[in-house]
Amino acid sequence: MDNKLINEYDLVVLGGGPAGLAAAVAAKENGARVMLIEREENLGGILKQCIHDGFGLVLFKERLTGTQYAERFLKKFYDLGIEHMTNAFLNSVQRLPEGGFEFVIQSAKGMVGLKSKTLVLACGCRERSARQVFIHGERPAGVFTAGTAQYLVNIMGQMPTKKCVILGSGDIGLIMARRLSLEGAQVEGVYEIQKSPAGLARNVSQCLDDFDIPLHLNSTVSKVFGQKRLEGVEVCKVDENYKPIKGSERFIECDALIVSVGLLPENEVAQSLGVEIDPATKGPYVDQELMTDIPGVFACGNALHVNDLVDYVSQSGHLAGQAAARYASGDENRIKVEYNSEDFLYVVPQYFDKNKEGEITLYWRSKADHRGKKVAIEVDGRAEKSKKYMRLLPSEMQSLTCTVKADVGQISLKMLDG
Amino acid sequence: MSRDIKKLKKMLDKKGFDAVQCSQWRDSVRLEGRMDDWGQIVRAGRLAAKAGFKGVINDIELKGFTAPPIRQSSLNDAALENDRPDVLIIGGGVVGCAIARELSKYKLDILLLEKESDVAMHASSRNDGMIHPGIASKAGSLSGVLNVRGNHLYTELCQQLGVPFERYGNLILFSSHLFGKVAKPILSYRQKNLGIEGGKISLKRLREIEPNITDEAVGAFEYPSSGVLSPYKLTVALADNAIENGARFSMGTIVKSMRTKAGAITEVVTNRGTLRPRMVINAAGVFSDLIAEMANDRFFSIHPRKGECAILDKKKGPLLTRSMGLIGFSMLTSDTKGGGVMRTIDDNVLVGPDAYEQPLREDFSTHAENMDIILEKHLPLIKGFERADVITYFAGIRASTYEEEFIIEKSEYVNNLIHAAGIQSPGLAAAPAIAESIEEITLKAFFTAYGQKIKKKNNFNPKRRLAPDMAKLSLEEKQKVIKANPDYGIVVCRCEGISKGEIIAAVNSPLPARDVDAIKRRVRPGMGRCQGGFCTPLVMQIISQESGKKLEEINKNGQGSEILKGKL
Repeated sequence: MDNKLINEYDLVVLGGGPAGLAAAVAAKENGARVMLIEREENLGGILKQCIHDGFGLVLFKERLTGTQYAERFLKKFYDLGIEHMTNAFLNSVQRLPEGGFEFVIQSAKGMVGLKSKTLVLACGCRERSARQVFIHGERPAGVFTAGTAQYLVNIMGQMPTKKCVILGSGDIGLIMARRLSLEGAQVEGVYEIQKSPAGLARNVSQCLDDFDIPLHLNSTVSKVFGQKRLEGVEVCKVDENYKPIKGSERFIECDALIVSVGLLPENEVAQSLGVEIDPATKGPYVDQELMTDIPGVFACGNALHVNDLVDYVSQSGHLAGQAAARYASGDENRIKVEYNSEDFLYVVPQYFDKNKEGEITLYWRSKADHRGKKVAIEVDGRAEKSKKYMRLLPSEMQSLTCTVKADVGQISLKMLDG
Repeated sequence: MSRDIKKLKKMLDKKGFDAVQCSQWRDSVRLEGRMDDWGQIVRAGRLAAKAGFKGVINDIELKGFTAPPIRQSSLNDAALENDRPDVLIIGGGVVGCAIARELSKYKLDILLLEKESDVAMHASSRNDGMIHPGIASKAGSLSGVLNVRGNHLYTELCQQLGVPFERYGNLILFSSHLFGKVAKPILSYRQKNLGIEGGKISLKRLREIEPNITDEAVGAFEYPSSGVLSPYKLTVALADNAIENGARFSMGTIVKSMRTKAGAITEVVTNRGTLRPRMVINAAGVFSDLIAEMANDRFFSIHPRKGECAILDKKKGPLLTRSMGLIGFSMLTSDTKGGGVMRTIDDNVLVGPDAYEQPLREDFSTHAENMDIILEKHLPLIKGFERADVITYFAGIRASTYEEEFIIEKSEYVNNLIHAAGIQSPGLAAAPAIAESIEEITLKAFFTAYGQKIKKKNNFNPKRRLAPDMAKLSLEEKQKVIKANPDYGIVVCRCEGISKGEIIAAVNSPLPARDVDAIKRRVRPGMGRCQGGFCTPLVMQIISQESGKKLEEINKNGQGSEILKGKL
């Protein structure tokens, strides 16, 4: 590894989409030293392929395309001169015993090592695949997720279909129904297993209704046909338990099935660090500043939970970036109990909320066998409580309690000669 | 009973198969008639297999069923016209490729024909990748002996080929102590007979080695020699190494007919010309009986036994180490192993397979009902497995004979035809040993047919040239590889961490990968949790750049499976 490149940052932001860009900008504006890591060739995340409009209504009170929206943040990002790496893939991240994180990143320049005080997870989400909703039958070419179809059309300028069926009424599916229609493909219909559409009402209206594309609710694709290229699908109605209703099957000849059946937060990195994941959101548990249960690890955007509007993604990125910068600067609510590790084996709890008034109790063990020592809790340099011990043994846990006022700067446990 | 047609007919009549006619053909028995249930047709074949004939030719027709045409490429040229290989291998599965590599040690011109666009497109990629210990085979059976021998050979073979291989071990779990008692003598006998290590372990030990095991298991038999590998990576590696040693491979090439004269094959007609091979090896999997038929040597029938499997996200791999199945009494006599759960070599979890008889030889469709049963049956084996962990599933077809045994022999009637047929589970485990046997048979056959002694080459290289496998390298090694070629630093498949450099190497490997699935079989992009959602367009672009093919020509798995439908 190139040791020259080992740098210490306040923040590493993982992901250069809307959440990551907002987080990096906010953190930089708050004076933090930021490094943003993006695995793709270009910054902007999924916005790069979103050439339709409807972005920015909340943040800018304007109707922007996805690429225009990304430009706004990219301009700020570049103007601030934020360090970043693209085509850079995180190989591993580790928590350091002394606090902070160490990263190993794979890039065309080689293996790069980085250190940071905090980590902002802005990895976005991925699409649920046709396999994850248990589409059965054969496995030909011509089954795409809506996002892949969007990439093929908008980035590569290639058509994935001439006549297709869309499964799921997620927003990308609806957007692609319109996009493919505009490019001359026939969209036979959109099939949604739920009794109401999954995407925004405005997308149902603008992408389906305006193009006379039928939306079939309580319906699904039950089978795929075609050995090489998809030749057709079987659709059917479902009952209230989403089970196919016998006799409602219908064969549709088409050359592609496009699935838009939900998004899943990408939290493999979070999990590798041991961040606890909420089974409901599939993203990490966070506090009001978007810090996860691991101190210094923040999550935002669609990696945290799947948002409907990009504006909210940027807002959460902003919040996480700000909070991470503050955390990195040490200016945070939580203060660490200080002690000399040559005197004490450990002290619990390790942290206190500095804004909380009241009684605090420290539990601790001495490191060695001592006689006639005095142990004191010092709050902002003043001994609030002290006690003399005839004998201290590592095997015996001790405790001391004292009262503190709000806005404490420092709490320490000291061992003094009696 | 032994080879008595009348007795067999009587027995079939008694069991309600009076519509079935029996006749003798050479040393085999042929069944004919028409029935309306495939299960009954298979049952008739199984009953006939007990009558002691060499083989069962089951020609009972299924009413209303016409076999669909065999899938084949639309290639039609004369690239192989008048080609005269010493050895023609028909079929590019693991068996055909292992034979090609084994024979490439000799001064022989070897040509392997595969009708699909790549090797390992049928059963050799559609299986669980388990290198069985051999305990499921009957004592003294050919498949059992070759299974144990093949298992043993894998350690060195995988080192030579650079194919990841682990001996994770296998557990036969039981949920009643009675089963443990009944099974022990049977399994011990097989163990001794075939030379397999292992035996019964206590519940305490079971919980120690597999802490997430179901509470339903009260004990287990453990077989530590059981291994796991990627069956398609292995097959590709065998092919690559055979090619490195001079063997020729022709993809998209189907054998249409043969001409024989005086007990020998003289001509093999394909879509790419008529060949005149000196020796023909039938390794055609589910079509091995049809190939035999072309040489007028169809003394057996393949009844395609289908199985389906599910794959779980690799997050769940670490919850278990050994392959395992909870087994009941039927396993002791059944032809299939009943399936279970196992950790794959890539740390995913494989669930299944099941097994059912059906008449189609190439139907790889999956079915919701079957998948539900598989998941309900096996997911509870390990605490922590959930339905939501499933990232994909697939089906495969076993090339079973009615004898449920491998056919590895020189034809009794055709001088230059050798069968490696009827290879089903444990065919993958046995493949290296099958190749050894075929090597010996081939050398003998050359001597018998042509009086020729085949000599070894002195420059055979058993080691495959390897492109860097980034995931397996240390930091320093990765750094070195990227310095030499920056493409190895650019990760294309985010789920599996596969770099552009690795994909380029696969496109240009000895047996070139020119479609999206062929790339998958070599380096796995798209096999992770997103199932290619992000990387498929990138992989297509790399194939296009490297091979000079247009983007519109890039396909999923051969001609006809093109991914794009033209430019905007």
